[in-house]
Parts: sequence; structure tokens; C-alpha cells
Amino acid sequence: MDIFLKLGWYFREQWRRYVVAGLLLIIVDVLELSIPWLVGRLIDGVVARSLDSQRLMSYVISVLVLAVLIYIMRFLWRMFLFSASFQLAERLRQQVYQHLTLMAPGFYNKHRTGDLMARATNDVTAVEMTAGEGVLSGLDGLVTGILVLAVMMITVSWELTLVALLPFPLMAWFFFVIGTRLHDGFRDAQERFSDLNDKVQESVSGIRMTRAFGREVREDADFMRVADRAAEANMRVAATDSLYDPAIFITVGVSFMVSIAMGAWLIEQDRITLGQLTSFTMYLGYLIWPMFAYGWLLNLVERGSAAYARIIALLDARSPVQDDGTRVLAANVDIHWQVNAFEYPGANSTALSNINLRVAQGQTLGIVGATGAGKSTLISLLLRYYDHDSATVSIGGDSVKSYTLESLRGMIAVVPQDAFLFTASIAQNIALGCPEATIEQIRAAARLASVEQDILRFPAGYDTLVGERGVTLSGGQKQRIAIARALLMDTPILVLDDALSAVDVSTERNILSHLKEARQGRTTIILCHRLSAVEEADQIVVLSHGELKERGTHTSLLQAKGWYARMFDYQKLEQAVASGR
Amino acid sequence: MHQDDEIPQRLDRRSLRRLLRYALAYPRLLKQSAALLILGTLGQVMGPVLVKIFLDDYVTQSHYPLNDLLLLGCTYAALYGLSAWAGYWQAMRLNEIAFNVVRSLRAQVFSTVIRKPLSYFDHRPTGKLVSRITNDTEAIKDLFLHVLSTFVQGIVLMIAIFIAMAILDPRLMLVCLIIVPVMFMVMLTYQHLSAPRYHKARSILSQINATLSESVQGMRIIQLMNQQRRFNQDFVKTSQSHFAARMTNLKLDAMLLRPMPDLLGTLTLAGVLFYFGSLSMTTAVEIGVIYAFVNYLARITEPVLQMTQRLSMLQQAVVAGERVFEILDEGSQTQASANQQITNGHVEFSDVSFSYDGEHPVLRNISFSVEPGQFYAIVGHTGSGKSTLMSLLMRFYAPQTGQILLDGWQLHEIDQDSLRNQVGVVLQDPFITTGTVRDNICLGQDMTDEQIMRAAEQAQIHEFVMTLPLAYDTPMDERGANFSTGQRQLLSLARTLAHKPRILILDEATANIDSHTEAVIQSALMQLKGSTSIIAIAHRLSTITAADQILVLHQGEITQRGSHQQLLAHEGLYRNMYFLQQSRAV
Repeated sequence: MDIFLKLGWYFREQWRRYVVAGLLLIIVDVLELSIPWLVGRLIDGVVARSLDSQRLMSYVISVLVLAVLIYIMRFLWRMFLFSASFQLAERLRQQVYQHLTLMAPGFYNKHRTGDLMARATNDVTAVEMTAGEGVLSGLDGLVTGILVLAVMMITVSWELTLVALLPFPLMAWFFFVIGTRLHDGFRDAQERFSDLNDKVQESVSGIRMTRAFGREVREDADFMRVADRAAEANMRVAATDSLYDPAIFITVGVSFMVSIAMGAWLIEQDRITLGQLTSFTMYLGYLIWPMFAYGWLLNLVERGSAAYARIIALLDARSPVQDDGTRVLAANVDIHWQVNAFEYPGANSTALSNINLRVAQGQTLGIVGATGAGKSTLISLLLRYYDHDSATVSIGGDSVKSYTLESLRGMIAVVPQDAFLFTASIAQNIALGCPEATIEQIRAAARLASVEQDILRFPAGYDTLVGERGVTLSGGQKQRIAIARALLMDTPILVLDDALSAVDVSTERNILSHLKEARQGRTTIILCHRLSAVEEADQIVVLSHGELKERGTHTSLLQAKGWYARMFDYQKLEQAVASGR
Repeated sequence: MHQDDEIPQRLDRRSLRRLLRYALAYPRLLKQSAALLILGTLGQVMGPVLVKIFLDDYVTQSHYPLNDLLLLGCTYAALYGLSAWAGYWQAMRLNEIAFNVVRSLRAQVFSTVIRKPLSYFDHRPTGKLVSRITNDTEAIKDLFLHVLSTFVQGIVLMIAIFIAMAILDPRLMLVCLIIVPVMFMVMLTYQHLSAPRYHKARSILSQINATLSESVQGMRIIQLMNQQRRFNQDFVKTSQSHFAARMTNLKLDAMLLRPMPDLLGTLTLAGVLFYFGSLSMTTAVEIGVIYAFVNYLARITEPVLQMTQRLSMLQQAVVAGERVFEILDEGSQTQASANQQITNGHVEFSDVSFSYDGEHPVLRNISFSVEPGQFYAIVGHTGSGKSTLMSLLMRFYAPQTGQILLDGWQLHEIDQDSLRNQVGVVLQDPFITTGTVRDNICLGQDMTDEQIMRAAEQAQIHEFVMTLPLAYDTPMDERGANFSTGQRQLLSLARTLAHKPRILILDEATANIDSHTEAVIQSALMQLKGSTSIIAIAHRLSTITAADQILVLHQGEITQRGSHQQLLAHEGLYRNMYFLQQSRAV
């Protein structure tokens, strides 16, 4: 139950809504209970032959007025209570999202997307249920229970009440047991269902195997095995669910029987009237809900606490990199890497060692080397994805840590390996970093990246939607849009992180010559596999296993006959094979 | 997150009828369920009647004969017990029908889907197909499990209650009957108003979730571009519009859903009280009757409420049904009966051309002929068409022109079993099924232990298998995780060897394995040479130096052919490829 304490901040903040909803709930409960009382009075009047039309009308009109009042108040408390819980859900969602935007990339390496998503979806819903239905069943169940008992005891007979109540704890126990079993069974059924999904996924993606081995019949059998397990789990849930009605039936039936038998005896003794007995049996019906509410509340609280704990854990997570720099402007953008040894958090092996590398403002630096040699790690350090004691990168003579993250990122435009595009138009994707850019600026950037012709070939041109529901772009088109996006930002430093791998050699040549023209006096860093992309760089470094193995210009490296020269020959041969020679 | 779940305003009655017909396959269960339903309902409805008898015949008369009362009490208890029992078993019978229907529907869709022509899968996202087989059938399950039972039980209960009312007092029953059309009108109004609004709220929610997942994946870019604030604002805006949409729904629910049937019930109660009270002033009335009516009125609103809540489920189930039927009605690839047998292992490609889209040719005029027992290798750069050639040989697609002949017969003329048994395939990604090591070798065929072990020895996996806890009876983990990649390759090879095919197709079988495993496979293959025709698609040229003939593909055409030595002697693609691989060591 301490989930209600933990959510106390929200209840206090929204106390008006909760107080009004609570008061309305209580009034509704009282009013609801007066209807059986009126019915009882009317019956007594009939039995005693004391009913006249005036009194009848007053009874009937009272019932009518009560019905309408109850309706209005029930409408109102729902609006107050659930608007509060809905709002909590949105608040939590927004908090989670905002927190996520503050987390450095290292955080995302540790948390899977699916897990983060689950917290922002299922967990938020579970907390919302606790703050809405949970409060309702807790409060209303309690109020109704107490009120009904009090009314039964005061207006009818306390002895009869006690006797009639005998089976009810049994019902509450039933509800709790069934509810818990249902919850467990439901989780099991969901797991089996996801097994089913996996199985079908596997079969559909492995359809060629099935055909090649002529295994259709076996596949059918395998599928049915998984499907049957899912069905059995579902069947268990359904069977448990079907227990609710008999449980209610038996306990209520017993209670009815006992109370009517005893009621008859009490009437015989002249202790109660027939009308009171009728009211009494109506009241008994009102006791089912509090019993149900109790079982439900326990389940909601259990789920809500676990979910809220996960959300809080996420909101309390600290970014591996703190935005504690103060510098906003750099004197110049000379870059200097000084890395004694760098290893990724949690990794044992060094990713970079003994690196001392300078790039003067306006230069072009080429970084080449095999996959995993540490090329991207150099860029991660420049962007301050990680802080490390024995790895320093400085811009304009000041450590990257001394800049605010915003100003650091404002100096550097990066085209990453995977050109990630958002679900938006092409123009919006290019203008991601500068939302206020004019269409002319956007087009100029696209032309520099040699992608305008591709874009204009789409029917909607720059307004073409990309992403899941939009057009499918080729890898090369995505890369070039990502390049245009970076160029539009017009930053003093541009990093192409293997960003030309999917474009052909002649397009690559075009883009590079555009860059040379457009970025005079500014720094460009090119990481690549294909050496043709760095041939004209002022400085080329070869990385191998995290160390600087060769450095020089294209000509000097070819003469040195090292890795670079061997790779150059290899790629020439590869080109020949690709073109069928 | 069903983004493609468009909920139409109108129900497709044809699909609904077709779905319901599935339940007719279980007449016994249906009859039992109907009988139990009537019993259970009877029990429920009779309760207040018994109390009425008790009140009117005994309590008001102050007349309490013990035997009569005991009988009444026992009947009452028996009725309650009966209706609880009948209700439970009725629900269970309906559950059983639901699961049987979904089972047969799932089996139907699944086996239809996996028998569709392969081109069917080329343009359909896997996720969507999976969703048809799982999510849509799950929605149909809800139709039978929740919707059907709610409607049938609710309607039967209402009818029974009105019959009981009519027996007690027909005129009072008529007063109560007014509530029925009003409630159904409320129900339909609610459905009409809420369906589009619920849909809107749901689609905003899936937009929120899509944004969230996209932002998590693209957070690096958002941060690099310093756009956190803008994305945050956009998210808050969407979140607020979600709240607004939910509030609209809440208002509708609070107005029409839960409080409304209760209001109508209480209003009717007022009518009953008025009728009854005025009647009592002129004639003698039975108190028990009003007791029974008050009791019935309290029960009549609940079924309507439940039906209202199930309406959207009904719609989703019918939409899902439509999609599933579409798959079923398109049908699958029909396998014409063919009875030619493969006995020698001669493979011939005669002037074969193929294109996936009918525009861009992927293979052009391919002709070659593999004599029984020969070893042919096909090499080429990425995109040269060698995988397509393999797909044609495995009957995934049919060539547009030209013929592929095995022992002189066209592929579709050959008996399915013969094709399966006489053509062995070792694919790049070794195919591992669930079950034991033994199952993976014999793949559903009867084989002696000796045969299995011999094959395993040939593939040099026997020793490893013997180190496993249950040897050949050891179950395979998910996707063979208790075997290394190389061991899975060897297991797959053992399987092929055990089946002793006439023709063996190797698809880059040695692409991802260490040189030891490669040597093992090489020597196993050499044992087959002369008795089995082998066609290998190779990436590593070192594995095919012993081939009788090597075909070099480039852009869908055979540009070079000859033995390894012959090809190496000439300037050309093969020689360049060979040197390229030799220098990969750098």
C-alpha cells in the first residue's frame, strides 16, 4: 500500500480533484442506499394499508430525484478522479521523455529500447490504474462496505446483518485468490503468446528453409504445438475467469437464504417488518462490490508499485556525462587528442592507446583502419560521449569538458555511420538541426550532398515523407540526406563517420569536391574504409588496434608501403572484380 | 500498437457470419452449452420467484409449516447450486468452442501462409504476416470467448427475466419492457459516438509510442543537433492532445456507459413502485411480486452494460476476420501430382533466364549440364546472380524462359518425395530444428542408429555428440545454441550424408567456419564425389579447387568456365577474384 504514499506528491498537488471526487463518491453511496430504504417504507405502507396517493407520490418522486442526482454525481466524480489519473500518466510520460533527452549515449548502450519503451508505456499505464481505479476501489469499496453495514445494522437488525455476512469473507477470499491466479495466468498466457509470435516470425523468415527441406507438414505440427501451448495457457485463464460467477452465486445465494430464513423468524417475532427484509436483501447486493474491490485493489497495488519503482529508477538514472562545462566560445577550433589509454566503461580491453594527434583549423583529416581499430572512438571522445581521466581532447586549447554540451555540439556536425532519419518530410529531416532554415538553404545543402536530383524524382519532392510510413530510401540516399543535414548546420568542424560507404565512387568524388569548395577554412574529419575518400586529405592517420600506426599524406603513405599501400592495392583489385574484370 | 487497425463504422455481416459458422463445427459442445445456459438462467430467474412464494404464501400469512419451508429452502439452495454449476460449465463449454475455433483457424492460416509462392513474401513485411497469424486470430478468439458469451448470456437472461415477470404480472412486465428499447438506443448511440473517438485516442497513443521509440533510437542525432528542447516540446504537445482525446472519451463513458443503465433501471423502478402503489390502494396485492420485480430490475441493466462494452471488441474481431479470410481466400501454391523419380542425378540448365520483376533480368541464358557424380562450382561477386540460380534449382521461383531438368525431367514433373530425398541441401545458415540431435540428423525419417552414427562419423561430429549428456538424445537448445557455428554446419552435413542424396546442393556452406571445419567438410565431400552430383555456390575459392567445372557468373551471365587450373591460367575475373582472396590476409 505504500505506493499511495509514494504517489503522495501527486495526490497533494491534485488534492482538489481527489477531495471533490471522494466527497461525491461518499454522497453517491449514501444516496444509493436510500433507495432500498424508500422501497422498504413503501412496502411497509402497503402491508399496513396506510399508503395514500400523496405518500406514494412523494416516494416515487423521491426515487426519481435520487436517480437523477446519483446519475449527475456519478458522472462528476468520474470526471474528477479519472482526469487526475490520466493527467498523471501524461506527466510521467513527459518526465520520462525529458529525462531521456538528457542521457548521454553511454546510457543508451546499457538500456535496450524495448525496456525503455516498456517503462513509458505499460508501467505508466499500471501507475495510472493505481491512481485512478486503485483509489476508486480502495475508497469506494471501503465507504460502500461501511455504509451498507451501518445501514443494515441500524435500520434493520444487527443480528440479521451478522448472520447474513457470514459467507462474505469467503467471497473476498475467493476474489483475491481468483484475481491473483488470473494475474499469474495472464502473464503466463502473454508469455506463451509471445512464444507463438516468435515461432511464426521464425517460420515466416525461414520460409526458404521450409521449402528447401520440404518441411511444410513438420512446420504445421511444430506451429500447432506452440499454438496449443498458448491456447492451454489462455484456457487456464478463461477457466479461472469463469470461477468468478459461481463464487458470487454461491456466497450470495447462501447469504440470501440465511437472511431470508432468519428474517422470516425475526418478522414472526415482530422484530422487523417485511419491508425491512426486502430492503435488507437489496442491501446485500451492494456488498458484492466492496468484496470485489478489495481483491482488485490488492492486484492493482502490486502491479502499480512494481511499475512505479521501475519508472523512478529510470528518472533517477544519472547521465554518464554531466553538463558541467561553462565555456561557450572557442578561441579557434584546433583539435588535439591526447590519449594515454582509453577503455569503454565496463570493458577490459583498451580501445585506444598512445594517441597524440593534432588537427589545425581548416585542415582535412582522414582516419582509416580496419573495423574495430578505434576510428569512431576518437570521434566519441571529441563529442564527449565518455569522460575518461587519461584521455583528453581539446578544442582551441581548452578541454571539451570545459564547454557546455550545447556549445560543444554546436561546433561539430557529425554524419554518423547509420544515417538515422526521422518520420518527417525530407526537408524537415535536412533541417533537423536548423528548423528555421529556408527552403533555399535546404536545397543548397542538398545540392552540396549531391542528393537533390534523387529528391526531386519523388512525386512530393522535398515534402516526401520518409520513415516507416513514407518512401523507402536506399542506403546511399539516406547517407546523402544525412550529409546535407550536417552541412546545413555550417559548423566549424564536420565529421563524416564512414558516411560515404553506400554511395558509388563517382558520387563520392562529387561530394568531396563540393565539400572542398564549401568548407574552405573549416575543419573536416573523414573516417572511412574506402581509401579514395581520403586521398586529398591534408593528413591521413592509420589506426590499428587502437594505436596510430601510420601517418602522412596519400603520396607519402603509398611510398611507405605499409598497411595503407597494401589496402590501396587490394581495393584496386576489388574494384576490378566488382566491375567484372 | 495496431497502427493499421482501421475500425470501420459498419460491421461486415458476411465476415461475421463466416466467423460464427466456425462454431458450427462443434454441434455437441454447442448443444451442451445451450442446455447448460438455459438451466443456469432458469436457476437465476427462479430464485426471486421462490422468495416471492415464501413471502406471499407464508410470511404475510404468518404461517410457517416446517416441512413446506424446508422444501422451499432446499429448492432454493438446489437452484442456486444448479445455476452456479451450470453457469460454470456453460462458460467452460464456450471456452472450449472458442479455443477449438481459434485452433483450427490458426492452423488454416499458418499452413496457407507457409505454402504460398515465395514471391508472396518478397513484398510483404514479415511483421504484418506474423500479425495476421497471431494478433488477428487472437482478436477472433475474443469474439468467441468474450463477445459471443456476453451477448448470448445477456439476451437469454433478459428474455428469461421478462418471461418470469410476465408470469408474475403481465401488465407490470409491460411497464418494465419500456426500458429495453431505450437501453438499446443508448447502447447504439454510445457505440456510434465512441468508436471514432476511441480510435482517435488510440492512434495518438501509438503516435506517442512511435515518437518515443524513434527518439530513443535517434537520441544521439537529436543531441548532436541540440534539438532536445524542440523534440521535448513536440512530445508534450502530442501528450497533451492524447489527454484531451482521452477526456472526450471519459466524458462519453461517464455519461452513457456505467451510470446510464443504472439511471434507466432506477427510473423503471420508480414506475414499478408507482404502478404497484396505486394498485395496492384499490385491490389486494402480493408483496412478493414487488420483491421479485425489484430484484429483476437490478439484474437487467448489467447485461446491457456488458454488451455495450463488448461492441468494440466485436468490431475488431470482425475486421481481423476479414483480413484472415483474405489470406485464406487467396489460397496457396497447389502442388500438382507428379510421379517421376530421380535415379541418376543428372542436372541440366538449358537456356535459363529469370527476372524478379519482369524488367531487370537477373539471370541470362544460363546453360550447363552436370553429369551424375560430377562436382560443379558456381562463383561470382555479390549480385552476380548465383543465389538466384540456387533459388531456381530449389524451386523457390520458376524461370521465365528455359528449363531446369533433373534426370531429364522438369522440376514440377518430379515426385515431391523423390525430390526431397534425392536432392540434399546444405545451406549457409545451417538449419536446426527443435528436438534431439538424432531428430536433426534423420529429420523425420526412419533410420537405424548405425546409419545415424555412420553419417555423424563421416561428418566428424560423432565424437562431439558423444560428449553431450544424452549423446544422440540430447535436446537442441533454441536455434542450436549448445553447438558452435562450425558444429552446426557439421551436423547439417551429417544429416545430408545420412540421407544419401543423388544430388547435393551446397550454398556457401563453408562461408562462416574455421579452416579445420572446412577441411572436414572438404574430405567428406570428396568421399561423395563420383556417386553424388554436387553443385556448390562458393565464396571461398580455396574450397572448390577440386571441382570438375567452375562457372564464373557476372551480372547474370556465365562469363568463364573451366577447371581451377584452366581458369587460373588466364587473365580474367576468376584469377582476379582468386588473388583478391589470397591478399585478404592483410
